[in-house]
Amino acid sequence: MTDCNDEIDCRTAVQKLWDYLDDELTPERMGDVRRHLERCGSCLPHHDYARVFLAALSSAKESEARAPETLRRRVMETLRAAGLNT
Amino acid sequence: MPGGDGALGRPPSDADVGTKEASERLVPETSVSPSTTREEDVRFESEALPFIDDVYRFALSLTRDASDADDIVQETFLRAYRSWHTFQPGSDARRWLFTITRNVFLRSRERERRHVDIEDGDVEALTTFATHGQMVRDGSDQILSRIDLAPALRRALDELDEPFKSAVLLVDLEDQSYEAAAQILGVPIGTVRSRLFRGRRILQDKLITYARDAGFTTAQRGQRGTKDD
Repeated sequence: MTDCNDEIDCRTAVQKLWDYLDDELTPERMGDVRRHLERCGSCLPHHDYARVFLAALSSAKESEARAPETLRRRVMETLRAAGLNT
Repeated sequence: MPGGDGALGRPPSDADVGTKEASERLVPETSVSPSTTREEDVRFESEALPFIDDVYRFALSLTRDASDADDIVQETFLRAYRSWHTFQPGSDARRWLFTITRNVFLRSRERERRHVDIEDGDVEALTTFATHGQMVRDGSDQILSRIDLAPALRRALDELDEPFKSAVLLVDLEDQSYEAAAQILGVPIGTVRSRLFRGRRILQDKLITYARDAGFTTAQRGQRGTKDD
């Protein structure tokens, strides 16, 4: 993933598409994939699909879930029994 | 203060997730660190306990059961407290707690530790997007724009097995980098990558099934997008 080629083929672009969307490639490789997507009508739909998929997956996060008060009390009781002294 | 492997602020056993020896090294079951002081207790309360909601949410995502999640949170904080002397001040306490959470979860799901990482991330990616091509051809890609995917994905996540579930939860829902997830899971980055991509592929397969059940596929291209109500 550290090669710096101006041109990558569709297979390589698709292999690295998740890494690209996760921003996990080197800057050079990010540029390679971006340039490929800009000119490749076959790979761009995969990119768009993957982006929607990841956005939906991120929205599945139960961000509102909070530890119940009973659990907070239980944790503190457990910690104090284990020696927590604050 | 502090001991352990230092740099990552992780319990020394966490690189060995899944071994009994590692579990036993993580926290002596009956002992409190002899170095525990009131000052450290105050630090624990101010640096670790504020993440109880994060730990609870992660535990809930792993278990999909509130009662099981409660037990895991309680055990996580007990182990974190007993291991506090191994935590590197200034490192990522949330990440450190996630590591312990997952260890506790794995111990509670002993059988799910038995897995073999054999897939390659690149292969998983190729398979995923080849499947996407098939979705376009049969019309099931319509599901992406026609319905709220989050509930379907939550159900699919419920059914996703370890070790893929943890990789997806950490990277896709908790916004951890591959490197951070690797530290939490105690595996190489390449393993995180292959587990993550496999997990996404499994979720994709479940979405396809969901789409078909919901009537989002057509036998003929010309009928794409017509839901069979």
